Amino acid sequence: METLILATYILVWPVISLAVLSVIVFATLRDFRCARREGRDVV
Amino acid sequence: MNDASLHQFSILTVLLLLFAFYGGTYLLTLMIKKKNEDTDAFMVSNRSVDFGMGAASMTATWIWAASFYAAATSGYTYGISGPLHYGFWGALMILFIYPFGKRFRKLAPNAHTLGELIHARHGSSSQLILAGSNVLGSVISLMVNFTAAGALVSVLSPLPFQAGVVIAGVGVLSYTLWSGFRASVLTDFAQLVAMMAIAILIIPAILFALGGPEVLITNFDKITPEQANLFSVDALLNQGAPFFAAVLAYSIGNQTISQRLFAVREDHIKPTFITATLGYGAIVIGLGMIGLMALLTGVEPLNGNMNNLIPQMVSLYLPAGFIMLFFILVIGSLSSPADADLCALSAIAMADIYGKNIAKDKPDPRKMLLIGRLTMVAATAIGVMLASLSLDILVMLVFVGALWGAIVFPVIASCFWSRVTDKAFTWAVIAGLVMFCIVRFSLLPMTGVVGIVFELLASVGGGVVIGLMAFGFFGRVAGLSAGVLVTLVLGYYSVDALRDYQVLMASLTAYGASTLVCIALSLMSDSRFDFTLIRKRVGDYDSTEITSTNTPVSNQVMPNNGKVILESQ
Repeated sequence: METLILATYILVWPVISLAVLSVIVFATLRDFRCARREGRDVV
Repeated sequence: MNDASLHQFSILTVLLLLFAFYGGTYLLTLMIKKKNEDTDAFMVSNRSVDFGMGAASMTATWIWAASFYAAATSGYTYGISGPLHYGFWGALMILFIYPFGKRFRKLAPNAHTLGELIHARHGSSSQLILAGSNVLGSVISLMVNFTAAGALVSVLSPLPFQAGVVIAGVGVLSYTLWSGFRASVLTDFAQLVAMMAIAILIIPAILFALGGPEVLITNFDKITPEQANLFSVDALLNQGAPFFAAVLAYSIGNQTISQRLFAVREDHIKPTFITATLGYGAIVIGLGMIGLMALLTGVEPLNGNMNNLIPQMVSLYLPAGFIMLFFILVIGSLSSPADADLCALSAIAMADIYGKNIAKDKPDPRKMLLIGRLTMVAATAIGVMLASLSLDILVMLVFVGALWGAIVFPVIASCFWSRVTDKAFTWAVIAGLVMFCIVRFSLLPMTGVVGIVFELLASVGGGVVIGLMAFGFFGRVAGLSAGVLVTLVLGYYSVDALRDYQVLMASLTAYGASTLVCIALSLMSDSRFDFTLIRKRVGDYDSTEITSTNTPVSNQVMPNNGKVILESQ
């Protein structure tokens, strides 16, 4: 049980990082598409 | 277990890695390069940065090279709770800024720097205090990040320290110089994706390479009870609380952050900063776990240098490909804040110094851009020079931290309370700084009545920190209640105890002293400020819409018959 808790405590951070990375990448791709459609610069 | 040595790359490999990183980043910026940039785009990307790019940029800017090393050091020193006491508080401060960022945007939708807002509110003296602290802070930050590049190159290859410093300086300048903030935001996205992807791979790779969690559990009896305690008071008072107070000051006082607050689309500020909070926390706490793993496996830092912990763990347990990824991770983490610092310094020179104090709101946009770019070149040269000299900058770093700590309450109060004056702002900062120095540098013995007075002052500072956070999220009543309650509780417990934690007490004293002076001098004044004037006074430089006036801004008041205005968000 302790092993599982420690493993979770260490590995939960890369899992959250992966989730945030996915959100940022998909949102940015959407930003690029919107910017292209509206004919403006993305930054 | 101290037989570690760091993996060594050949000179050619390191040069190729650096060339690939900076060359690739430069090529990326060619995608957005325009022959004629305008000042607004150069400083704040026309305030139209969308959610994805904004969140990536905010996260990448908040993470600097020291973040990984310090989080790992905290994990190694304080055990289980160590990484949390670095990453959690740092992340919380990103969250803390956004309610105030929304207020800044509401007051000055066309601002490029927080200094412009403060100039419109108070005048040159307060603005230049803010601008001066930012110049000092950003130059130090540049120096620290270039130093990290030199250190990384020199420990992982035969290349000298100075070579790494110069390559990082030239590399960052090359991709930031032409498009300014736009290039910074775009490259932040690419750098953050690389950093997060690498962190996601490295953390589990090290865990399983050293035998998995079972091996760590078997070594738990070798660490101290404090290190094994998730709620360690020792870690909280020596690491968490001082860092919490320091990053709060950084988040409010630093132009790299406020520049992003002014650049992100106004309706995207909240999701952008919430996402950046999660991203920063996860990546920094995760890498801090490498320090905990080093502690539990008995690894000792090479040459006693805690900064060697992560490279050592990667070298010890992972193949060469991972070490290359780690190299890119650190180069990315130092380049992103470095380019943000160059953009911050250029915006301060363009808007705060040239726009507001030299051209007096009648600036020539072309000259402004030239000033911005020349500032970047000069800042890079100074950063590279200071880093190459390997100067001891601890005192300067402490001083800037104190300055920002003393600025927090006056800045926030100036944006909500109509009675705050230029005089109150300026003297509050000076008082906070002086009282900080007395505690931090032991200018007076912290014994007897003196010790108690400073402990009570620090308790007020603690109340201010918590009160401001509550005010940002829940409004005036919650802020005042939380502030008073925390002050009373801290006041009860801190007497005869807080003096043992000098760093924490000094930081809180800066908050407490500046707040008390700011409130006292503001209450002594009869003037009331009309916040709608800020919007009129801060405009775009390309369209020259700024309301110019010969009357000192701090003297222009609202004829409201003495009614106090404290605006809620």
